Amino acid sequence: MFFLSRQTVGRHRSLYAGSFVALAVGVFLLGLAATATAATIAYHGPTSASISVTTLGGDGTAPQNVKVPLSDADVSGLQTVLSLVGTISGFITIFVIASTFAFAVASRRREFGLLRLIGATPRQIRRMVLGEALAVALAASLTGALAAQLATPLLLRRASYTELAPVKLEPASPWVPLAIAVAAGLLVAMLGARSAARRAGRVGAIDALREAALEPPRIGPVRVVFGLLFLAGAIVMLTLIRPSSGEGAVPLAMFTPMVMVIALTLLAPLVVPLVGRLWAVPLVAWTQVSGRLARSNVLAAPRRSASLAAPILAISAIAGSMVLSLSFAADSAAATIRDAVRAPIVVTGAAPVDSAQVKAVDAGLPLRVVRVAADYAELEDAEGIDPAIAAQTRDLTVRSGSLAGLTGNTVAVSKEMAGFESYHVGDEIPVVFPDRTPVKLRVVAIVKDAFGVNPSFLIPLDLARKHAPEAQTERSFVLPADGVAPADLVKQVPGAQLATDWEADQADGVRKGNRLGLVMLLGPAALYSAIAIANTLLMGSLQRRHEFVTSRLLGATPAQLRRMVLWESSLVGTIALSLGTVITVTVGVLIRHAMTSGVADVPMTVPWGILLGIGALCLILAVGSALAPTTYLLRRSQPSAAVD
Amino acid sequence: MTATAPTYPSTAPAGPPALLLDSITKTYRSKAGAVDALRGVTYHFARGSFTAVMGPSGSGKSTLLQCAAGLDHPTTGTVVLNGVTLLGLNEVELTKLRRAEMGFVFQAYNLLPSLTVYDNVALPLRLTGRRPARNDVQRVLEQVGLEGKAKRRPAELSGGQQQRVAIARALITRPSVFFADEPTGALDSGTSRQILGLLREATDRAGQTVVMVTHDPVAAAYAERVLFLSDGLLAGHLDRATPAQIAAAMSDLEG
Ligand SMILES: Nc1ncnc2c1ncn2[C@@H]1O[C@H](COP(=O)(O)OP(=O)(O)O)[C@@H](O)[C@H]1O
Ligand SMILES: [Mg+2]
Repeated sequence: MFFLSRQTVGRHRSLYAGSFVALAVGVFLLGLAATATAATIAYHGPTSASISVTTLGGDGTAPQNVKVPLSDADVSGLQTVLSLVGTISGFITIFVIASTFAFAVASRRREFGLLRLIGATPRQIRRMVLGEALAVALAASLTGALAAQLATPLLLRRASYTELAPVKLEPASPWVPLAIAVAAGLLVAMLGARSAARRAGRVGAIDALREAALEPPRIGPVRVVFGLLFLAGAIVMLTLIRPSSGEGAVPLAMFTPMVMVIALTLLAPLVVPLVGRLWAVPLVAWTQVSGRLARSNVLAAPRRSASLAAPILAISAIAGSMVLSLSFAADSAAATIRDAVRAPIVVTGAAPVDSAQVKAVDAGLPLRVVRVAADYAELEDAEGIDPAIAAQTRDLTVRSGSLAGLTGNTVAVSKEMAGFESYHVGDEIPVVFPDRTPVKLRVVAIVKDAFGVNPSFLIPLDLARKHAPEAQTERSFVLPADGVAPADLVKQVPGAQLATDWEADQADGVRKGNRLGLVMLLGPAALYSAIAIANTLLMGSLQRRHEFVTSRLLGATPAQLRRMVLWESSLVGTIALSLGTVITVTVGVLIRHAMTSGVADVPMTVPWGILLGIGALCLILAVGSALAPTTYLLRRSQPSAAVD
Repeated sequence: MTATAPTYPSTAPAGPPALLLDSITKTYRSKAGAVDALRGVTYHFARGSFTAVMGPSGSGKSTLLQCAAGLDHPTTGTVVLNGVTLLGLNEVELTKLRRAEMGFVFQAYNLLPSLTVYDNVALPLRLTGRRPARNDVQRVLEQVGLEGKAKRRPAELSGGQQQRVAIARALITRPSVFFADEPTGALDSGTSRQILGLLREATDRAGQTVVMVTHDPVAAAYAERVLFLSDGLLAGHLDRATPAQIAAAMSDLEG
């Protein structure tokens, strides 16, 4: 059958162009993530600025020597982002490839029927489709890998000396990462093509003879079962987005939409007509014949409409949920910071000198300590504080133990950290200070979390001074003397700000950091989805030459046909966007609830601009890429063309 | 026109039936309701016979052909092709039987546009896993008068030429039964004559059986026997009739 595959790929160039571009871009992104990851793995930080410690061992693990780098020259941030980029790209690629192949099969029923008629077995048809997919996938994967190799130095130059990787990165050997990307591309293509091939194999000989190549509205029971399973999985994940999930809620909010998208795509042939019928009501009411035609075109071919809707649904749901979740997380961070600061004034930089106008200065010393555990050792942020003053300037509500004992070799641990590591008051935590002194710190108190204000470990100020002589105060909290207005004091002290202003700046910083992450994560995914959306719609329209010619023959004007396509693509886009909106809103409501429990008066920032922008972009792309080929076809489809 | 129960065609060459339909009914069910397309058809097509099936539009001609060829399952009744009962076969066995024993020609030429004439004709052989012998392909192309057109693509041929490619493709596997549904429906009369001549030749020279659905009395006159179908039932037959006789019988049926 490979003989046939080769010939038919050529013939169906416009159908496979979509799959080709989609897969090539997918492999390009995967390959880029892989080569960049290889570069970060190949990077070895400066050896001088690290501490050698021996882990504790126990519980079946032997103590071992590990090197903990002391500097910020750490590429793990970039690695995390790259692996997320890889995951999201991989996911969307599977998804888009499956839907483009499904589309290609759906629009070739007659051809498969004909082959079956002249003696092809279902198995031969399946193999032919898989063969075509393999040919396309090979070409696309190699193209994508080559492009990734060419773009790697560019990306590394961009990524070097940034917050995510504050070092210079050099390309590493590309063979292994690119081989992985190509293999992933082939695998993804084959997975995506499998269900399409199976469906092609089910086409009967009689389908060659039926007048319209309309697909049966049936949807396979296996597909329904899997769709329901994924839906159930997504619902379980949704219920986990609750206050008790803590920091885990944000990743959950980012990945649940993916599972939801899979579920809805599997069930799309059932869901799309349902939602479509709803949106078609105003459409049919407002327009004349073109809206009616659009409605029946969308509803009569639910599989085809589902394929067209899939990429729009995917990107709108994933991007929407991510943008909303991160915005709500930033809101919650802002509220936490606001509640954690009690002093009216915050000074950035060196601590202010005591004066008559100042009642107390809480000048903590930030430092880093290496915390030694059973089988690893990790650099942790800590701060040396004077508990008597700090308890007045920030929220240090004690959950257990007492801050009065914070002297000597002791530590107060944040509630979250204590929860992770199951620390209790009285436990001893072995640490190594920047001056390489190993010390066992006794836990004297567990205090309320205050992200962005207090680090997880608070030690006595003297201890910090002793073991981190180079540590400098970076920000201090100031209580003005009685009768001194904070607003006046701020003007006299260099680097001073009203606490409210400082809090707003911090929240801004969180948002800016999120934005960088969003651009890195969603940029490629959005680019990719844009290509996918344009692809499927372009393919869909180019396949309709015959239909257009016939309609012209029946007396439809080009303007009427253009309007029909306009309504059709808007309808599909609206269906997909409304499903994406449902997912986004659900995730948003849950994450909002999870983030605001226990914190009063959390501001709510809904990034309307970005959300509406995503929706508008999807619609414009959908309509544009359906209309452009239609206009092109109509120009070349005089009614006389129907005769030949 | 003899509106009697169908009888074994006296004019057909003697021999065992190539195709046997026994009390075939077919009901299409859809949201709009049920349609009885065939309401009990029994008929034996003798080996080497050329039979035309005529009837008003919607009388069930195409349905009859599709059930007879095993493309669709009759609601009740059995179909036996060369001694094999189609009912018990699974999809793969049916496909193998189809590619060994049956040839198809339809109004729409049903060629693969991406393949050359040569490859289109050779395709059924390739599907059986055999490597087509160049000579065999050339021979059938000659037989249908398309020598020298082997390298063309369907789009570069006229309608009549495309239909001849379809016939060549049906001929190449030497099927015992040809099924044709309006094979000349889209062709002018001159080209139609060539196509019908080819089908006639298949029965005369190679002893192949032809079942052809048509609405054209001139085309039907190429057959030894014309069966009339009305409302899903056999309404009678004419043997060795002229186009005029057939046309008269048809207008009786429609009137
Ligand atoms: N796939 C189908 N689904 C429902 N009804 C059908 C289908 N095919 C044919 N019919 C109906 O069955 C009857 C016979 O159709 P057909 O065999 O195509 O007639 P003919 O070929 O004689 O014109 C018609 O009433 C037609 O509408
Ligand atoms: Mg018919």
